[in-house]
Amino acid sequence: MIFKPWRRVATATAGLLALTLIAACSEDPGESTDLSENKVGAMATYGVGDQFKATEALSFSTLYNNHTFYPLKQDWLFWSELTKRTNVTIEPVAVPLSDYEQKRSLLIGAGDAPLIIPKTYHPQENAFVSSGAILPVSDYIDLMPNFKDKIAKWNLKPEIDNLRQSDGKFYLLPGMHEKPTQDYTVLMRMDILQELNLAVPKTWDDLYTVLKAMKAKYPNVYPYSDLFSKPNPTGALLNILGSAHGTQAGWDYQHATWDPAAKKFTYTGASEQYRQMVTYLHKLVAEGLLDPESFTQTDDQARQKLANGKSFVVTGNAQTLVNNHRPDLAKTLPNAKMAKIPLPIGPAGEINPFPRLENGIMISTKARESKNFVAMMQFIDWLWYSDAGMEFARWGVEGVTFTKDASGKRSVTPEVDVLGLNPKAPKHLQKDFGFYNGVFAYGGTPDLVRGFFSPEELEFQKVMDARQPRVVAPPAPLTDEEREQVSLWETPLKDYVTQNTLKFALGQRPLSEWDAYVAELKAKNSEQYIDLVNKAYERFQKSNG
Amino acid sequence: MVILGTKSDAPQTRGPVDSRGYRIFRVVNTIVLIGVVIVTLFPFLNIVARSLSDEAYIIAGKVSLVPRGFDLTAYKLVMSDAMFWTNYRNTVVYTVVATLISIVLTTCYAYVLSKPQLRGRGLLVGVALFTMFFSGGLIPNYVLVTSLGMKNTIWAVVIPNAISVFNLLVMKAFFESLPTELEEAAAVDGLNTYGILLRIVLPLSKAIIATMVLFYAVSFWNSWFSAFLYFDRQDLLPVTVYLRNLIAGATSAESAAADADKVQAAATFQAVTIVLTTLPILAVYPFVQRYFVRGVMLGAVKG
Repeated sequence: MIFKPWRRVATATAGLLALTLIAACSEDPGESTDLSENKVGAMATYGVGDQFKATEALSFSTLYNNHTFYPLKQDWLFWSELTKRTNVTIEPVAVPLSDYEQKRSLLIGAGDAPLIIPKTYHPQENAFVSSGAILPVSDYIDLMPNFKDKIAKWNLKPEIDNLRQSDGKFYLLPGMHEKPTQDYTVLMRMDILQELNLAVPKTWDDLYTVLKAMKAKYPNVYPYSDLFSKPNPTGALLNILGSAHGTQAGWDYQHATWDPAAKKFTYTGASEQYRQMVTYLHKLVAEGLLDPESFTQTDDQARQKLANGKSFVVTGNAQTLVNNHRPDLAKTLPNAKMAKIPLPIGPAGEINPFPRLENGIMISTKARESKNFVAMMQFIDWLWYSDAGMEFARWGVEGVTFTKDASGKRSVTPEVDVLGLNPKAPKHLQKDFGFYNGVFAYGGTPDLVRGFFSPEELEFQKVMDARQPRVVAPPAPLTDEEREQVSLWETPLKDYVTQNTLKFALGQRPLSEWDAYVAELKAKNSEQYIDLVNKAYERFQKSNG
Repeated sequence: MVILGTKSDAPQTRGPVDSRGYRIFRVVNTIVLIGVVIVTLFPFLNIVARSLSDEAYIIAGKVSLVPRGFDLTAYKLVMSDAMFWTNYRNTVVYTVVATLISIVLTTCYAYVLSKPQLRGRGLLVGVALFTMFFSGGLIPNYVLVTSLGMKNTIWAVVIPNAISVFNLLVMKAFFESLPTELEEAAAVDGLNTYGILLRIVLPLSKAIIATMVLFYAVSFWNSWFSAFLYFDRQDLLPVTVYLRNLIAGATSAESAAADADKVQAAATFQAVTIVLTTLPILAVYPFVQRYFVRGVMLGAVKG
């Protein structure tokens, strides 16, 4: 009795669906290069160093990642000063940071996306390229003089090329750094180091010696007990250890690694470098230097072990050091001294692995039809890429939130706190003024990016600056069909690599089985994968030179 | 009030003195249930203890059931955040309005479906069942709600989920179990359909309505997803999204890797928010529960 009406409903639904599909497909995105209809409010001449100011009041909708620490406020100086300087009002569509990506996909999918979509991490934009919902911004960078200028001045062309899709265009305006600012490294109890009369380790092999000495003195302690077991086990440690071995692991795992000598891509999880990295990790676990629970415990558990002197070394960054470990230790072990050590060097030599591009902005395709399109691109160029705009987004207004001394060094005014620089100040640069906001402040020159760093952290960065940046892989963009094919292979491959990295490290699988493991990866299409990537690389070389 | 499982409730056929087997059963039963109570209660008491403790003790893993280093600053901090209260008020308003709408709609629909003489009843049941197994999907739903102009209004969260098919079927079964003679008698006495529903059926259905209120209220109180989808302004969000965001801001290691300006929310702060959010709905439970037990007994006598 139930089934009959069901069938009727199902038929009706199917019919409706078909209609919607036909309607959706019949739209044809017009590709016109004529911008004469889109110049309302734009400046006739706008170049590097110019202050952008729209010729009439404009407003642009912007997706806004609402941070827990500095929730959106309407009365921020950022909004009013931005409008005063540029004649542009940003209409934020506030999304809780917990589910920003989901809402972004939904809004883009539903055709309801704001014009400006910041906080997009490459390659997240790939998912939206084929739908035509986001703009190939590379077609319009002539409207953005500061953006072009920074690429040329900072030699970012290889990095930018890496963003290109198979059509040769890129769809994301990334945050750009003049110099890489590596933050994650190994944090260590310096007092234990002193107690054992050891020097700060320079290489991963030195680190092994130090851990060994710690274990000899404190046999009941696992000297290294790591945080960040999610989303994949010891993601942060694998990340820095992998880059030191010339491969990519942990948080940074990519299936294809560029081999500059052979001029082709190889499968990361099956490479010799990856094997060396796993071997090192296994050595640490086997000799009781790295806590096997590092791969499974929660961050809180690892924090507690460190706070209670049950471990001495952990992976982390300036934030976790200053906000977590030091206050924890101050309460439990007041004599402990915890510090960052310069990123240990591995077989890959003295490199600074940090990428120079960070998350960036996508533009909705519908913005192209707006009569204010040119003005919007100029506005984005000013706020995110001009020296004045970057200073404004990060530091705020000179005389109000910061001052500059004769040498040009900036410091926050005494009434303003940020990152605990003026803990007693009544106002906070992020919470009360809306500057140094993750949505608007990305990248820049070292003096901007590192403006709030402590002397200790600047010292760390000085060591890191002396190292070479990592070689950027050439672009090898896949077509839509290839990407679909590859995405079927990716998850099983990645799971398998992660699982086996763990098994090899923990000794559940002997390293003598490495060749068998590589063969198993092949059975999971790792070779087809790499062939596809290498073909894409050659194709791109041919068509884009 | 009658409590299940006590002596007065024991089957009378076993005689005035409880059999040995039954006594053993009661002892085992009590022990097992006390175990269940402890298991359920422990995490909650732990959160309460954490919310009242100094953070150093939490990080050191020294807080289990008793608060250590008694500290109320976290409560003061959370309570001084205006957005927390705005979102809290939203949750209360959404829950009350949504529950009301849901109860009215579900009752009406279920009552109608419980009448075998209704023409097209199969189709009506089919329509409801269809939505139980198939949904339009996220984006079509979003487009629908947006084009109806409900985005950024309370209706976006209270209307689309108003009828839960599962609850509807439970209620339909309950109405079907009511003796038809009662309604026939009422009809003879001159009541029309609405009169029968309002004066005869509903007063007899307090138990099922109390249960439904509980089901709906709890699910609306805890829900966050539709609010997250349809609201673009933080002053419209319910407190669940506030809480979710707070915890995500503190625990997402992966985004912390990418976001250098992330600052960890204190462990105490999270516990306080959890306590403040769960307390009211916990407080509602016992009252509804009382209704529920009494109502069930009432139905048993009538049968």
